[in-house]
Amino acid sequence: MLDAAVREVTESTTGLTLSQGGEPPDESSCTVHISFKKGFRSSLSMRADTAMLTRMAKNAIREEQVTPQDLEDFAKEYFNVLCGRVAGILYKLTKKPSRFSVPTFQWGQFEPEDQRQQFALNYSDDQSRSAQLIHLVPKSGQEQEHAPEETNKT
Amino acid sequence: MGKRIMVVDDSRMVKLRMEDLLAETEYEIAAYCRSGEEAVEQYGQVLPDVVTMDIIMPGMDGLEASQAILEEHPEAKIIMVSSLAYDDTFEEAKSIGAKAFLDKPFEKEQLLAALDQALAEG
Repeated sequence: MLDAAVREVTESTTGLTLSQGGEPPDESSCTVHISFKKGFRSSLSMRADTAMLTRMAKNAIREEQVTPQDLEDFAKEYFNVLCGRVAGILYKLTKKPSRFSVPTFQWGQFEPEDQRQQFALNYSDDQSRSAQLIHLVPKSGQEQEHAPEETNKT
Repeated sequence: MGKRIMVVDDSRMVKLRMEDLLAETEYEIAAYCRSGEEAVEQYGQVLPDVVTMDIIMPGMDGLEASQAILEEHPEAKIIMVSSLAYDDTFEEAKSIGAKAFLDKPFEKEQLLAALDQALAEG
């Protein structure tokens, strides 16, 4: 479910085809993150090689050069669209409406202290650059409302 | 004379995309607001023909901002623009008086169809 959403949104917004698998992103990466506020008590992060994200942003805005601000704006909007797609799929499956927070962006890795990784999906592009979608759930016994588990885990 | 649009979206990417798609059409972006609060404040000064309103924004979200604008200006024509494209959101948008819903990401045809639909409604 998540995998299909990632591939579809990435291709429609950036023209980039991602394949599942490969290594997690290296040190030079960025992370964009949202928390579900209503319906599901979990969050999603996407960490991507800065080079991959730059390529995606260039394709999306059709510019040869992108600034760090462009990169951040693109990453937030891309993840907003992706998470909206996920929320729509979850609604179809569970009839439970959900809302999520405004995406946050940061350079490098982001590990919220009160959450633990439930699973991660790794992706690579045709230039062997990597991205990783991470599903996080609360650490302390409050997981009744987290989203359905991805069947295709890595 | 062109139709004047107020674009409300915290993402500059969306505004740039709309500018790109609306070039050489009858629509022009008359104002751009990055928050719901800004949109509520500016609506009365700009009085656009149509508003495109994002839902997920910091502070006042697009549904709250639309409600506030429509309370003051019941004639306002608002299109909700969001990636939250499913029944629950459609119904909420419709119940507050939005004229159309545009699913992100969108192409030119979808954007123009939503703008035409909003303006065609009384």
